[in-house]
Amino acid sequence: MNRLKPFQGAAAGWLGVVPYGAFLAIFLIVPVISNIWTTFVSQGRFSLDAMSRLLKPQYLDAFLTTINLSLVTAVLGGVGGLALAWALNAAEKPRWLRNFVLSYSAVASQLGGVPLAFAFIAALGVQGVVTRGFLDVTGWDLSQTFPLASFAGLAIVYLYFQVPLMAILMLPALGSLKQHWSEAAASLGASRWHYVRDVVFPVLWPPILGALLLLFANAFSAYATAYALAGGGVNLVPIMIGFFISGNVMMDEGFAAALVTGMIFIIVVTMTLRALLERRANKWLR
Amino acid sequence: MAALTHSIQRRGRQVMVTVIFSVALALFFTPLIAAAVFGFTLPGEGVSFESISLALRSTSFLPQLLMTLQLAVLSTVGSLLLLVPTLLWLHLKAPRLLPFAEWLSVIPYVVPAIALVSGASLFFRATFPGFLVSPYSLVPFYMVLSLPLVYRSLDAGIRALDIKTLVAAGNSLGATAIQILLTVILPNLRPALLGASLLSVAMVLGEYALAALLLHSTFPVFLLEMGNNQPRAAAALSFIVIIATWLLLLSLSTAGTQRTRVTGGSCRTHLPVVSSTTPPKGDR
Repeated sequence: MNRLKPFQGAAAGWLGVVPYGAFLAIFLIVPVISNIWTTFVSQGRFSLDAMSRLLKPQYLDAFLTTINLSLVTAVLGGVGGLALAWALNAAEKPRWLRNFVLSYSAVASQLGGVPLAFAFIAALGVQGVVTRGFLDVTGWDLSQTFPLASFAGLAIVYLYFQVPLMAILMLPALGSLKQHWSEAAASLGASRWHYVRDVVFPVLWPPILGALLLLFANAFSAYATAYALAGGGVNLVPIMIGFFISGNVMMDEGFAAALVTGMIFIIVVTMTLRALLERRANKWLR
Repeated sequence: MAALTHSIQRRGRQVMVTVIFSVALALFFTPLIAAAVFGFTLPGEGVSFESISLALRSTSFLPQLLMTLQLAVLSTVGSLLLLVPTLLWLHLKAPRLLPFAEWLSVIPYVVPAIALVSGASLFFRATFPGFLVSPYSLVPFYMVLSLPLVYRSLDAGIRALDIKTLVAAGNSLGATAIQILLTVILPNLRPALLGASLLSVAMVLGEYALAALLLHSTFPVFLLEMGNNQPRAAAALSFIVIIATWLLLLSLSTAGTQRTRVTGGSCRTHLPVVSSTTPPKGDR
């Protein structure tokens, strides 16, 4: 007698997913579909009008700026994160130091939003502690050179979570480079450069590219951090969508929906590429 | 000779490691220390709790903090009530459906909070206009936003358990399904439940976009308003929030290490709070 098996067969399995599926349908899938519907259906007929308006200079500029910011912080964050991951992987002596850096990297990779923005304003804002200190010592006003409410300012703040996120993402891949591979290469007469070019690079490029894509999507979808720092000061897609929803700018519903559809489209493409790369990366990991 | 160059190389590498760690720690902690210094001092007065105590006396502080705490509890309980039974059912009855359920769980990855709020207001304003008026309407959306994290950590916990054997053992001893669930499965799942809850709470405590754009007064919304006219108080509160998040996530990694001790499985000494499979929690 098996009391946990009141039903048998495929129907029983589907029955168990009903609450979960229904929940996701109502609160995720239907809202996304109604957004796409509003984008492409206007007055009962299919229309590309809203999407085509995305190409107007002002809106195209928002997409280009957001893509630019995401690219810059993904690449710089990628380089910094790789260095940090390498150090975490190569660190030998004080074990506690490595663990401390690792644990704070893990937390920093998850920070963001309003508190991080205000911490940076306290450091690099016009009245910020670091700004004042620098001004007193060197006479150079950092808040003039890198105003936080600008592209450069946002990039600096985004790097605060992009760098540790890259490090955390790359750690397992770096760990999978076996010590004996480099020894084997050396015993076959390969130089350090040959080893990096012919062994390390072919193994590591898929996970590196995959992690960069995640960083890109991460920066692309950030809203709270950018809004708290710059308000409308930098022309970003998420900020523009926010202004529409809160009623601060006049746009018709179809067009706002088109902005969201465009944003989801870019992130879906990014994450699909990442999933494909991940399949490739898994060949060498573990 | 080879041994000598090897040891020089190794020393050089450790110097590089120290340099990178120092730079990283300096950059990590500069904004934190700046927030503390800026928030807990007044120009010309030195250390002062004046600005933060003013903020805490604001009439909206307590209600908005309590609202966020309520939302955190409700979303976390909601996620566990929805996902634990679903996952147990799938693992026991329909493992074939697990990949599909997992695929569903990562959809929020590609729907940023700002896109979710746009879709939600489109759909619910057209169908149930009253729904989004209550601040508690945020709960299901917070459950959606934290789904990729919560699903993964619960699923990993269940996979580590071999529940089929546990259920068969319970059955053979004559236990009912409820007894098996309450006395065998849930106690064994405690570390996974705890980990999932911490991730969900950390997400809700920081979420700004949905709350602000659906016009609900939560703690992050309070914090942002504070920043507009009392930057020192906002810095002090931000410092406290970041430290609290750190402690919350740190206790998560302790929960993780406890699990390995209990099951006596692979004895990894340190589990990072997030791993390469963990996505960012999606509240930026």
